[in-house]
Amino acid sequence: MNGPARILIATGLALIAMTMFFGVGYAVFDEHQTLVGMGTLMANGFTEAARGDLQAAFESFEAYEALSREYRNEIHSHGHWGMLALILIVLGLVFNRLAFTAKQRIVLAWLLALSAALFPFGVLLQIGPAAALGEVLAILGSTGMVLGLLATVYGLLKRAT
Amino acid sequence: MVEDAFIPESEDALASSAQRVLIIGGLLAVAVGMLFGDIFAMFVLHPNNARIGQAMYEAALLIPAGDADGIMGRFAAIGGYLENRGTKIDAHSHMIHMGYLALLLAVLQPWMAFGARQKLQLAWLYIASTFLLPPSIFAIHYVGLAFSPLEHIGWASILADLFGFLLGVAVVLSLWGLWKYFRNTKTVLPTPAFLQGGDPASRTLLAGGLLLLVWGFLYGAAYAAWGVSGQATSEVAILKDIVGHAAAQQTALLDADFGAYGVYQMYRAINIATHTHINEMGILLLLLSFVQFFVYYSETWKKRWARVAVISAFGLPVGILLELKVGIVGSIVADLAGFGTIVALLAMLFGLLRYTGVKDSHSGGAA
Repeated sequence: MNGPARILIATGLALIAMTMFFGVGYAVFDEHQTLVGMGTLMANGFTEAARGDLQAAFESFEAYEALSREYRNEIHSHGHWGMLALILIVLGLVFNRLAFTAKQRIVLAWLLALSAALFPFGVLLQIGPAAALGEVLAILGSTGMVLGLLATVYGLLKRAT
Repeated sequence: MVEDAFIPESEDALASSAQRVLIIGGLLAVAVGMLFGDIFAMFVLHPNNARIGQAMYEAALLIPAGDADGIMGRFAAIGGYLENRGTKIDAHSHMIHMGYLALLLAVLQPWMAFGARQKLQLAWLYIASTFLLPPSIFAIHYVGLAFSPLEHIGWASILADLFGFLLGVAVVLSLWGLWKYFRNTKTVLPTPAFLQGGDPASRTLLAGGLLLLVWGFLYGAAYAAWGVSGQATSEVAILKDIVGHAAAQQTALLDADFGAYGVYQMYRAINIATHTHINEMGILLLLLSFVQFFVYYSETWKKRWARVAVISAFGLPVGILLELKVGIVGSIVADLAGFGTIVALLAMLFGLLRYTGVKDSHSGGAA
C-alpha cells in the first residue's frame, strides 16, 4: 500500500471510528432530549394559538426551527463523516490505478482526506458561535470533495484510454 | 509471526476465515438492509406520513375551541408515529452501512497486522454487532420504557448503544492492526489480485459507482445551495399560517396551508432520499467491483449480474425522484430497482460461496 492510499485509508478509518463514537455519545446524551424539545416546541405553538396568544405561538415555531436546524446539522455531520470515510477508503484501494504522478496523487489524497474531515466539521460548527467559520469550512470541504472526486474520475479515465 | 498472518490473504484471496466472515456477512447485511428498506417504504412509510398529517390537521381544528389537552394528545400521537418511522429508517440505514464497512474490512484484511485467530475474533465481533444493532434500534418503538432503569432511555436503546459501542471497538482495533502494519515499513505487500481489477464486470461496476458518486455530490451541493438561496419554502412560515388561519376559522385557507405543508415535506423527503440513495448506490457498486474476483461464474454471467446491479443502482434514485412528478409510479420504479439490486447482490453472494467451495475442495477442505 503506497503513501496516498495510506493517507486515504488511515483518514477514512479514523473518521469512521470517530463518527461511531460521536454517534453513540450523541444518541445517549443529546438526541433524545433534542427530539423531545422539538416536539414540545411545535406542540406549544399550537397550544399557545389555542389560548389566543399568536405571538407566543410564532415564537415557539421559531425556536422549533432553530432546534430543528441544530438537529439536522448534527445528524448530517454524523452521516456525512461516515459516508465520506467509506468513500476515502474505497478510493484509497483504487488510487494506484490513477494516471497521475506520485506527487499529484499525494496532493489529491490530502485534498480528499482534508475535505472529508472538514466538510462535516463545518456543518457541525454552524450550530455554535463559530457559525460563519463553519459555513466557510463546509463550502471549502464540499468543493474540495467534488473537485477531488472529479480528478479521481479523470485519472481513472486517462489510464483506461 | 505478524508477517505470517499477512501472507494468506494477499497472495491467496479468501483463504482466511476472517475475510470470509466479513465478506459473506457484509453482503448479507446489505441485502437484508435493502429488503427491509423496500418493505418499510411500501408498508410503513406512506401510511405513517398520512397518519402524521391527519393528526396535525386534527390538532389545528382544535385551536378555535381552545382545547390544549386535545392538541397535546394529537402531538403525543405524532411523536409515536415519528419514533416509529425514525427507528425503521435507522435500522435500514445502519444495516446497510455496517454491511459496507464489513466489505471494506474484508478487503483490508491483508494489511491488518494481527494473527489469524485474533482477526477471526475481531471479524465475529464486528459481524455479530452488525446483525444485533439494527434489531435493537427496530425494537425501540415497541419496547419503549418497559422495565427500564432510566427515566428516558429504554432497554432497546441501551442495547443499541451497547452494540454501537462494540462496533466502534471493532473498528478501532482494526485501525490499530492497520497502524501496526503501516509502522512496519520493512513489510511491503504486493497488491492483492482482487484489487487489481481489469475484468469487465469489475470495470462496469467501478465506472457506474464513480458516475453515481459524482452525481450524488453535485445533487447534494445543488440542494444545499437551493436551501440557502432563500427560494426554498420556509417550514415556519407555513406553520404560522396554519395556526393563524385555524384560529380565525378560515377552513379553506387552512386546507391550502396543509396542502402546502404536505408538498414541503414531500419535496424535502424526496430530495434527501434521492441524494442519500445516489451516494449509497455509488459506494455499493464500488465495493461490489472489489468482490468480482471472488464471484465464481463465467465472464458472461458476471457481466450480466454487474449490469443488473448498475441499472438497478441508477433506477433506485431515479424512481425516488420520479415520485415528485408521477407519484406512485415512481415508487414502483424505486421498489423494483431496489429489488433488482437485492437479486444482483444475492447472485454475487451465491457466486462467492461457489468460489469458496471450489477453493476448499482444491485444498482438501483445509480453509
